[in-house]
Amino acid sequence: MPTLTIDGKTVHAPHGTFLLAACRAAGIEIPTLCEHPAVEPYGGCRLCVVDVTRPEWNGWNKMVVACLFPVEDGIIVDTRSERVLETRRVVLDLLLARCPETPLIQALAGSYGVTKTSFVLNPEPTDCILCGLCTRICDRMGISAISSVDRGAGREIAPPFKEPPPDCVGCLACAEICPTNHIRYEASDGRRRIWGKDFEMLRCPRCGRAHITVAQADFFAGKNGVPRSYFETCDACKRKELAATATKLAGGASTPAVEQGTR
Amino acid sequence: MERVPCTDLAPVDAILARYPREEPSLIQVLQDVQRAYNYLPCEALERVAGELGVPLAKVFSVATFYKAFSLNPQGRTIIKVCTGTACHIRGASQLIEEVQRRLDIGPGETTGDMAFSLQTVNCVGACAMAPVVIVGEKYVGAAKATTLATYLDRGE
Repeated sequence: MPTLTIDGKTVHAPHGTFLLAACRAAGIEIPTLCEHPAVEPYGGCRLCVVDVTRPEWNGWNKMVVACLFPVEDGIIVDTRSERVLETRRVVLDLLLARCPETPLIQALAGSYGVTKTSFVLNPEPTDCILCGLCTRICDRMGISAISSVDRGAGREIAPPFKEPPPDCVGCLACAEICPTNHIRYEASDGRRRIWGKDFEMLRCPRCGRAHITVAQADFFAGKNGVPRSYFETCDACKRKELAATATKLAGGASTPAVEQGTR
Repeated sequence: MERVPCTDLAPVDAILARYPREEPSLIQVLQDVQRAYNYLPCEALERVAGELGVPLAKVFSVATFYKAFSLNPQGRTIIKVCTGTACHIRGASQLIEEVQRRLDIGPGETTGDMAFSLQTVNCVGACAMAPVVIVGEKYVGAAKATTLATYLDRGE
């Protein structure tokens, strides 16, 4: 197992893991915006930069993004050098120029002493930081309904042709993973609307809760070969049912206390 | 965005027949479609996505990323005026004005008869020949308003 030094601490990290995980395991906090355990590392936000050196480098070091740098035996990592902090400040300064009204960015920038951007303010403030979490989670779900569109200053996250996306099943994974709440949706009375597309909801046959879109149930059932009825019952009811079965198997009667405890 | 309708997808199918039905073929197919239609019709992107088994969102992402692709119909001859540093200094803006004056189109626009499109490009790597204009496939070095005029009249 590689042994490395992070901020003076000796840390052991398994082969094939990334520096970010090693830092966090050592209790060292690294700011990130584009990292999420559900998706592959992306290296998009550049906030997790750290300095890396080795004794034989005679004082030379290199700055790497911790989320994409595999741990190596013998490296010495500095997560709070002046160069690292200054780089993070510049990144946050740029993000603040792009997203001046976004609470998450304001707070993060503030914690690095950046309260006002030194760049030209974005004339059209947005909450989107282009972290790519939404498109990556959509790919991960096997749907790929949205993607990064255009390039440079005009780049944005959008469905094909900027029309309601044909492949979207309305699962809300993109909206839920979005760190800045940029992706909005409406949900009311058995209907759901996201990316300009309307979805009919499926009601749980047991509790009547509208918990999943019809398109979602169709998509998952078609994908896994699991019967569609499996997706019709909501998770809470499924847990209750499982608990009841387990109770029966254990030889006890299903009591209200058990039911309550498993809700 | 505005969709430009396209009904004849036979050229797309002919192009698709030449490549393996897999994601790595995507850019080559799109390049050929761009050449065949002078733009990428929405319906063609949908057909390509379906046939190569690539999500439509990915195809759209690639189609909007590269400058070589256009989602709007382009003229038969594309005039690219280089506005890199050397060309800028040697009068690229006058060349743009000349095209604008003669064809009544600005950068990014196409003439009504679909003969010409005007584009500005950042650098074509031929700074010694500045200012450079590319008319269709032809590189015109040390371009002047007068030399440009001959190309525009010939409409090649």
